[in-house]
Amino acid sequence: MRQIKKITWLIMLPMLLHTMVMAQTSIKGKVTGPNNQPVSNATVTIKGKAKASQTDAKGEFTVMVSKGETLVFSSVGFVSKEIKVAEQTIINVKLTQDEGLLEGVVVTAMDIKKNPRELGYSVQKVDGDDIQETQRENFVNSLQGRVAGLTISPTSGAAGASSSIVLRGFNSLSMSNQPLFVVDGIVVDNQSVDETSDGGRGIGLASDRPNRNNDYQNRIADINPSDIDNVTILKGPEATALYGSQASSGAILITTKRAKTTKFQLQYDNSFRVSQLTRFPETIDQYSNGNNGIPASSFRYFGPAYGDTTLLFDNVKLFFRPGIAQTHNIGMDFGLKNSFFRLSGSVFDQQGVVPNNDFKRYNLRLSNTTKIGKYIELMPSVSLIKTENNKVLRSAGGYMLSLMIWPNKNNILNFEDPVTGDKLPLFSSNPNADYDNPFFNVYNNVGKDVTMRATTSLGININPTSWLSVQGRFGYDAYNIEGYTRFHPKSFYVSSAIQGTLDNYWRKYAGYNHTITATAKKKVGDFSFRGMVGTMWQDYKTQMYAITGNTLSSTESFDSSITAPNSRVRLLRNYFGEYNKQILRQFAYFGEAAVSYKNMLFLNYTHRFESASTLPAKNRNYNYPGGSLSIIASDLIKPLKNSDVISYWKIRTSLAGTARLNTPYSTQSVFVNNFASGNGFSYGFTNANPELAPERQSTYELGTEFRLFRNKLNLEATYYNTLNKGQIIENFRLSYGTGFVLNTQNAASTRNQGVEITLGSNVINKAKFGWNFQMNFNKMWNEVIDMPKNVSEYYIADTWLYGNARGGLVFGGPTTSITGFGYERNLNGDVLINPTNGLPVVEQLFKIRGDRNPDFTLGINNSFRLNRFRLNFLWDIKVGGDIFNGTHRFLTGAGKSPLTADRFTPRVVKGVLKDGRENTNPTPNTIVVVPALNDAYYTNMPEEDFIEKNVNWLRLRDLTFAYALPKNPFRDLPGIKTLEVFLTVNDLVLMTNYTGADPAVNGNTAGSRGVGGFGFDYGTMPAPISFNFGLKTSF
Amino acid sequence: MPGIIGNFVGSSAAAGSAYGLANDGVNIARYVQYFATNSAGNTFDQMGGATGASDALGSVWAMHYFGMGENLNKMVNWGMEEKKWDYVGVGYAIRAFSWLALTNMYGEVIMREAFRPEQLVFNYDNQKDVYDTVRAIGRLALDYLNKTGDNASQANLAKGDAYFYNGDVNKWKKFVYTVMARSFNHLSNKAEYKPDSVIKYALLGINANDDNATCKFANTGITGTSNFYGPVRNNAGALRQTEYIANLMNGLNSRFTGVTDPRSFYMLRENTNGTIRGIKPNKGASGLVTADQPQSFWGQVFSSAAAPVSDVTCRYIFKNGSPFPIITASENKFMLAEAYLRKGDRSSARTSYAEGISLNIDHLNTDYSAGVPAPRLMTPAAKTAFLTNPVVVPPAASLSLSHIMLQKYIALYGFGMHETWVDMRRFHYTDLDPSTGVQVYADLVTPSGIDLFINNSNKLVYRARPRYNSEYLYNIAELTRIGAIALDYNTKEQWFSQK
Repeated sequence: MRQIKKITWLIMLPMLLHTMVMAQTSIKGKVTGPNNQPVSNATVTIKGKAKASQTDAKGEFTVMVSKGETLVFSSVGFVSKEIKVAEQTIINVKLTQDEGLLEGVVVTAMDIKKNPRELGYSVQKVDGDDIQETQRENFVNSLQGRVAGLTISPTSGAAGASSSIVLRGFNSLSMSNQPLFVVDGIVVDNQSVDETSDGGRGIGLASDRPNRNNDYQNRIADINPSDIDNVTILKGPEATALYGSQASSGAILITTKRAKTTKFQLQYDNSFRVSQLTRFPETIDQYSNGNNGIPASSFRYFGPAYGDTTLLFDNVKLFFRPGIAQTHNIGMDFGLKNSFFRLSGSVFDQQGVVPNNDFKRYNLRLSNTTKIGKYIELMPSVSLIKTENNKVLRSAGGYMLSLMIWPNKNNILNFEDPVTGDKLPLFSSNPNADYDNPFFNVYNNVGKDVTMRATTSLGININPTSWLSVQGRFGYDAYNIEGYTRFHPKSFYVSSAIQGTLDNYWRKYAGYNHTITATAKKKVGDFSFRGMVGTMWQDYKTQMYAITGNTLSSTESFDSSITAPNSRVRLLRNYFGEYNKQILRQFAYFGEAAVSYKNMLFLNYTHRFESASTLPAKNRNYNYPGGSLSIIASDLIKPLKNSDVISYWKIRTSLAGTARLNTPYSTQSVFVNNFASGNGFSYGFTNANPELAPERQSTYELGTEFRLFRNKLNLEATYYNTLNKGQIIENFRLSYGTGFVLNTQNAASTRNQGVEITLGSNVINKAKFGWNFQMNFNKMWNEVIDMPKNVSEYYIADTWLYGNARGGLVFGGPTTSITGFGYERNLNGDVLINPTNGLPVVEQLFKIRGDRNPDFTLGINNSFRLNRFRLNFLWDIKVGGDIFNGTHRFLTGAGKSPLTADRFTPRVVKGVLKDGRENTNPTPNTIVVVPALNDAYYTNMPEEDFIEKNVNWLRLRDLTFAYALPKNPFRDLPGIKTLEVFLTVNDLVLMTNYTGADPAVNGNTAGSRGVGGFGFDYGTMPAPISFNFGLKTSF
Repeated sequence: MPGIIGNFVGSSAAAGSAYGLANDGVNIARYVQYFATNSAGNTFDQMGGATGASDALGSVWAMHYFGMGENLNKMVNWGMEEKKWDYVGVGYAIRAFSWLALTNMYGEVIMREAFRPEQLVFNYDNQKDVYDTVRAIGRLALDYLNKTGDNASQANLAKGDAYFYNGDVNKWKKFVYTVMARSFNHLSNKAEYKPDSVIKYALLGINANDDNATCKFANTGITGTSNFYGPVRNNAGALRQTEYIANLMNGLNSRFTGVTDPRSFYMLRENTNGTIRGIKPNKGASGLVTADQPQSFWGQVFSSAAAPVSDVTCRYIFKNGSPFPIITASENKFMLAEAYLRKGDRSSARTSYAEGISLNIDHLNTDYSAGVPAPRLMTPAAKTAFLTNPVVVPPAASLSLSHIMLQKYIALYGFGMHETWVDMRRFHYTDLDPSTGVQVYADLVTPSGIDLFINNSNKLVYRARPRYNSEYLYNIAELTRIGAIALDYNTKEQWFSQK
């Protein structure tokens, strides 16, 4: 089908080209702005005709006109200019900035474009060019540091890794905190596969796994970064109030590139990447396998030190390979009369730094803008995407941990018998009792996902009169994923009796949504009024067919037919040949009333009425208001009006409410499959709640914006305060006296506050040299302000990755806390020591031992321009925030951590004996321990010791150096208009006080709920350093 | 219903969790010295309780409140609505059993407020009230099991309990009677103890091996259909037989000196010397030379905790598909023997005692001969020789509580640890028989000194604490009231064994 479409367009192309050469006179020229800066992408139209042209990067244009016609030059942020064509062949135009519209327009909720002056809330915009320039295939990763209040947590540095996105901190304890993604006014899916299926009733895997050792792409990453014109980030619920509950964690609005004229343009760019993994947890290598100083065939290194002659291998180096990737993007603009087309395609092919980890993506997109008559504009688009991801396991069960503790006397390359291909034994004749060699692991414990996606949308704008406009946005987004995860029959991670496991799944998603709005405007004297009414319909269906089985009859095939039939387990409905479904439908209508006075006082009120299918009938209909006020103080206060210092000063405030929904079907306890002999059904763990009501979120925001020194410096500051009441807590534990293990209630409340400051400056803006600077500061703090009194801790089970530390939440504590085991102490705070062995007594209780929330984060972006050179670099700074370094705990227990290097040094643990007198008459500990001979010294260390406090980082995220070639060498190459070569380096510099590989860690995938697993490090592969080079050209 | 049945042993409902008797049995068997770990340092070998945030010994708690929990309620409700009286009866029968198993483990438990899905905190009830409830529900079960007609049907019931009684309500009635007998038998230390109550219900109860309450397994290769102690479930790798059980069966115990029990090669594992030896709790190999160290129950060397690919080297309840007994006729006979003896009817006591042994031998021969070395298979002659050996079956006049409790101890080996623990606690592990002045559990040495868990404050174990992740996080106030916060709560004697 796709093939046919491609061919059709190739045939049509010459015809389109033909229509363009019929004009009369060719006029060239240059459009400039202040300081003679070229204005690129300015539109040049002939008055009264649809035909138009655009200026290039140097502000130059060519247009065919007849004498007597009028050319109109316009560009966002500038006052339009009209020039009548006489005898000239060169027209140079100087545009003046439109002070009132300096920032241009911004896209707000419902794809309504507004003047930033009137907004009572904070919005931030990122240019598509900046996103593309990072060469990051998952475009969300390029947003980190560029937007105040936006945090991206990639799951790992693997090819195809997911990323979770959080705007303004964590509001919900057990539901998703991911924002809504909207592309050209259409809601687009960003789920990651959540492996948990709650005993087969959900849409996870049949083996019902906890999102720890696999990863699934967050689906918004399917978007081709080269199709993005710009991204607008709506952070608070005031901004997203019109999108309703789906956007209670904010919204990210993507506007795609569209052709604006009929002029034929072709762009091509490519990028070639080499990546190298350079950051690893530190290990020591001088001790042999053993326990308590005695040699033993175990994966612990408390044996004697190696002799000088022992041959040791650098297995870590032997394991990883250079990552290689290439991207090719092509874009084509063309048009016919009043219809403008853009066709774009992209191929991305990546080989990860871990063997057998690859990712491929193919994108094709066709969009069109057609004007029909005077009033109607149609904007259809279709995108087709295919991704393929060969995956390896991560975290527990992954290659990383076994690589770190693989005996260095053993050459890691010898992992299979060269003849039979069998796993080579290391310590045990039973392969299932022997750790998997990391190579064996990545080649044999494997997964794969193949996704096919089609997103179609249609935008309709009708402007029958100057005061009324009607907009419709209709979108259908669908994809299928087919995937598997296989554990080899001889893997350490399955017992020999199991003989391997294979999980297969088939996932289908289909989402339809539309929004229709009608806006009327009226000006009466100094007052302007605007009224809007609209409706929105959303219908999202995710379906899953999943099967797991063991006793694999083949290691070549990944078809579920190789599992033993009697061992197969499916999701509940799959037994009846049907997919498990999760359907969410939501209907809403809403309105907005706005009034402004003299373009300097803006008052806005919105209200949304919503009905959602996930809630019980009696609580299904709910509504919430939003309001904002914006004052342009610089206009209001007379003396400021023409000030050289303060050019613009705005004060804004807004308030809004919104709701958050429960997971579909969490209102009714259901039976799940029972796998006891005879099968049948029994209740799952979950006590569903037929009384559930939507979670309520209310926020207020205060902000101010300054433009100082004749617009040289922009400063924007925002404070927000969000209260989430009656949070829907799914899967929280109570006494089993309820008859269940997990419960569902409107139980807790949280408060989330923050300050965001953006400082930007166009420091130098000369014709030959320019320097732009932007800084995004973000500080958040949050607290669990209500929880049932008897619930001492609520935790997201996924985060309990290793040992006894997890993302537990405690009344009065932060929402980002780490709970875990620690030292038992007396009233004086001294560590208690076990009198029998001299080791500390561990307090085996999950108490708050750390907080992952940073003190603040700062993104600093600098862009320099010198003649034909450009240099951009983005620093990402994080100060504070704790990390549970599970990897370090693992390596310490295994005798590989540098912490164990001085194991032969006798020591007395500082503390007092737990002898019953620890609080009355404490006895200081004097028991000498030699850890080398008593390695319980290390294994006994509680998690508290491995929570690294106040981890900071300074990271050079993206660095781009580009050079635009002069035209000369290509004189003879017809058609080439611009040619730029570039080098982009990702993650080049990382300075941190963290002892692990990389402090930007996430123990879970983006599919995890609530606060998720950021700040939990357990066998996570960090992001490699990547060098991207390529060229960018247009024809 | 199959799930509820599966829950007796160790269910595999949602998420493959394993709640049930067999799961906690791994640790309770350590308390009663059926099993010990092949290396030192196990808390339960030291009679310790669950510590910290551990859910150990909380499996029966989860079985009762969650695994069976609302499922049994639903089954009873549906049975009522659809007039399937047999299902209602079976539902109550299992609930009666489950209350008794629950309280014997934990003492005070949530009873009146149980199964209130909207409640946040729960009060506990006294054990006496739970015992009364067991009997009340037992009688209710009998009423419904006796009710025929409407939609009660053997064929339909068999759809639910195919792996238990296969739809036979008469067997379910016997099950209820034996549960009632247990509830009276457990109160032997109390003034109100009446041996006649035990005798009445035990006579109505399970008295033939065919009536044994046994969980059977489809054994299809997934955990849910496999025996908890088999290699597929992989739960018994580190467990080894103790010196106590080995000596009871190899003739080294002072009560049965010189008698080699023909059942030993069925229930226990030999060493490379071909003899039966066992280990002491918390002593690892206990000084046994390698050739004397017992194999694992899966036939692996002493030090190996690994599960074999196939279960051909396994025997008894340690095979993937072996049935797992819940209550046996043999146990019922030993209850009778004890009650007759306490009543003073020595001749009936001796008869029941001998029947208890005989039924156990038959049971082993029928269900558990697979994997036993051919020369060790029990012949009828061997059985007769054993039963006529006066050291084993003495004349009525010399039959003692010690004989009965020790043979019951052997007959329940490996699966009946919950009931054996009740018995041992009734005798406070080392009580002397008032009529003979010797220790009822002859030669039993309980852990002491460094082998007794530090938190026990030098006391033996008498209960398990409620499941941590159910109670210790969410029901603190009530735990404080009953004293369950104390570190030695596991040593607090329960009501049933007190005078």
